[in-house]
Amino acid sequence: MNIYVINGPNINLLGTREPEIYGKDTLNSITKTCNDKASKAGHSLHFMQSNYEGEIVEWIQDAIIQKVDVIIINAAAYTHTSIAIHDALKSYSGYKVELHISNPHLRESFRHVSFISSTVDAVVAGLGADGYGHVVDLLSELPIKVN
Amino acid sequence: MSNKKLLIINGPGLSNLSNYSELGYDGLSLDILKQKCIAACESLGFQVDFRQSDDESDLLKDIKVDIDNFNAFIINPAGHLHSSSISHDIFNSIISKISSKNKPVIEVRIENIFKQEGIKPMQVSDSGAGFIGGLGIQSYILAIKSINQKISNK
Repeated sequence: MNIYVINGPNINLLGTREPEIYGKDTLNSITKTCNDKASKAGHSLHFMQSNYEGEIVEWIQDAIIQKVDVIIINAAAYTHTSIAIHDALKSYSGYKVELHISNPHLRESFRHVSFISSTVDAVVAGLGADGYGHVVDLLSELPIKVN
Repeated sequence: MSNKKLLIINGPGLSNLSNYSELGYDGLSLDILKQKCIAACESLGFQVDFRQSDDESDLLKDIKVDIDNFNAFIINPAGHLHSSSISHDIFNSIISKISSKNKPVIEVRIENIFKQEGIKPMQVSDSGAGFIGGLGIQSYILAIKSINQKISNK
């Protein structure tokens, strides 16, 4: 199974940015966890992070071209603003999981709208940084069509 | 005393999971869901009480005592596929009470509720509540694993 894990703005600050909300795990440790779990399960996983909306759109388009089987996306703040990411995800027909470290629905009201949720198969939020590894572990159990 | 007592509450409508086949979740039944949850809990050393009722008042009549007696909670309020009159406020206040006691609670949904207009997840003021929707039975299994990790790290 080919997997893209796409992360949005400020996720590179994990571990230092408001650790009371996002925890102490760094992006490096999450990347390592995802890579380890994927390789154990025989998956190929690419872990990416960008602060730029257009770059995220291009990665999703790349997933369409490369026929990637699964996108796990934490679009961070772009979740609540980006119609471009919404459109790109709609064009991608593989399996999609929206992931958030915290639960946006428990936070400021401007985080209660997600332009992504209606385009994906599943939404996972509020499980902390461990959510990434849990979702990667779970993929083999899901009815995912592998290219 | 064991700190691994988990209560799984399933709201109205979940007695008949054939409703979900229209959404692409085929071959589901409450019994299969229950057996899979119990198996996952047993493998992680949880005592579990798996409840479902189409009658909210019956399901939640002892909830105050339950909140004290269990260490972690998984709640699927459901309802919307069954009846439009269901009051989400009741589940909302329960989730809020549980997280105010600093006990793990996760709202789970079999389907991705955001694909249906007008359906919103619980909005509680306290942090600590998770949300998982769209993974079918695996929404519950993921919730059980996540709660296990949270409790083990304490």
